[in-house]
Amino acid sequence: MPRESAPMQKFDPKKLRQTVLKMAYAGSTVHIGCAFSIVEILAVLYRSHLNLVNNNPEDPLRDYLVLSKGHGVMAQYACMHELGWLTDDDIQNYFHDGTVLKGLSDAHVKGLEVSSGSLGHGLSIGVGLALAAKRKHTNQRCFAIVGDGEINEGAIWEALLFAAHFELSNLLVIVDKNGYQAMGTTDEVMSLGNIADKFRAFGFETREVNGHDELELDRVIRDLMNLNSKAPRAIVAHTVKGKGVSFMEDDNRWHYTRLNEDTYKSAIAELKSEEPLSIS
Amino acid sequence: MRNAFSSALVAAAKLDPRILLLTGDHGYALFDEFRKACPDQYINAGIAEQNMVGVAAGLAKGGFRPFVYGLSAFVPIRVLEQIKLDVCYEQLPVVFIGDGAGVVYSSLGSSHQSTEDIAALRAIPNITILSPADRYEMTQCIKLALISDRPVYLRMGKADLQPVHESLPDFQVGDLCNIKHGTNKMCFIATGSMVSTAIIVSKEFEDVSVWSAPCIKPLNIDTVIDITRSHQLIVTLEEHSVYGGLGSAVSEIATGYAPTWICRIGIQDRFSQFCGNYEYLIQEHKLDIDSVLVQIENFLFHCYGNRESV
Repeated sequence: MPRESAPMQKFDPKKLRQTVLKMAYAGSTVHIGCAFSIVEILAVLYRSHLNLVNNNPEDPLRDYLVLSKGHGVMAQYACMHELGWLTDDDIQNYFHDGTVLKGLSDAHVKGLEVSSGSLGHGLSIGVGLALAAKRKHTNQRCFAIVGDGEINEGAIWEALLFAAHFELSNLLVIVDKNGYQAMGTTDEVMSLGNIADKFRAFGFETREVNGHDELELDRVIRDLMNLNSKAPRAIVAHTVKGKGVSFMEDDNRWHYTRLNEDTYKSAIAELKSEEPLSIS
Repeated sequence: MRNAFSSALVAAAKLDPRILLLTGDHGYALFDEFRKACPDQYINAGIAEQNMVGVAAGLAKGGFRPFVYGLSAFVPIRVLEQIKLDVCYEQLPVVFIGDGAGVVYSSLGSSHQSTEDIAALRAIPNITILSPADRYEMTQCIKLALISDRPVYLRMGKADLQPVHESLPDFQVGDLCNIKHGTNKMCFIATGSMVSTAIIVSKEFEDVSVWSAPCIKPLNIDTVIDITRSHQLIVTLEEHSVYGGLGSAVSEIATGYAPTWICRIGIQDRFSQFCGNYEYLIQEHKLDIDSVLVQIENFLFHCYGNRESV
């Protein structure tokens, strides 16, 4: 007797990771690990929280998703592919000469709100977008994803001060705490201490979650955004760099390593082997 | 000139609620009128210029018209990358006001002086660079900034000099303003505070033309070619490095289309050495009237072997 199973939901993390791998293999690109650590965060935001008015990435009343850690952009491309904002060709031709999708978030692409990757830029722009929405009395919200390495940048802390001072309760900052930055662990390079405590000290309503647990992410985002508080919100998401493919997890080489045929095939096979059953 | 700036901005902000003034905790007294007239449109972003520019970019994306005010040593210099990536790359309508440009903050030293702001911004695509010489040019520059749909940098230098125009000049983005027509084969092109110096020095020679360049980027190529074609010698004057500013911009056009002798008078690739008042620092950098005259005479000697040729 066939087992009952849930209908395959949109933004399935395994499928998103396969799209990331397809792009990375097609374009022979790096930054797979830092895309994989934010897959569930993006999946939950796109699936349940972002108000994408008329599925139009340029609708003036949309919620904003600001990927301040622009290096994870392949995960966002994968979501945009699911939304129909990117085509199969866009995925297959990633990094080909004359194409538009770059290796970092780029605001010239519809659906990407900021040009980032030079770190510490996106959050301030997100703060400006949140302030603009407040001043216009729209109910738009801004979700900004920053990396834990990225918060080495002083501009991040300037933005946090500003967001708290101007009571941007429509701003949610999500820290992708995967524990790594370019040259090593965050502890080795520049100790961050307790990130959640720092955000609380800056006046943010702050929660910590397992950044790969979609149910927990969904619940905590909902709880935070429904809080009756003037403070901006923050989530410190504990994540694993390279999450989803065993030989990439917690291995910082996958910040820089390119896929070859073997690693591509085995990564795809691993993601496919545990695919949830879907109703056909 | 600061009053002209304040009045024009207040008048515009009263009419257009999209106009927001952001300051990095600078502008004491300058913004009293603005804060009184449009308190809700005034945002003190704190001593945090990088974030201020990013926020301005976000506000512009959200439909507002931010004016970002700072000392030119900080806006644009400290936030050059934010201006490049957050604002210019997306061609957002943000206006940057760099106050105290040149050596205005003479006694505070190099941290507050900026003689590299034009050069730094000229290499960034999509930004218009305005450098008014007096209150009339300032009023027109604010007008141009308000109707611009792209990034603008408005350089505000020494602000209490006498007007160089008698009334509001009608120039557009890119235009040079003719201050004085002459038949001499030498011509002066100056910007900002050095326009009044150019006018005074021009009187030492017979019938020399003087142009003001209230807009340094873009610079109307045809006008510059006309000037360089019709003169043997061009003297450019600016309270800015001789690298990358007005003199460079004029020379670049001249070398491409109508080569001629060009004497670039400005800050000679050096920091200020001493403390002193504005006039003292201008002398230290050889931008006072006597020093400018000596430089021009040396230039004439270099070109003709004597001073009397013009």
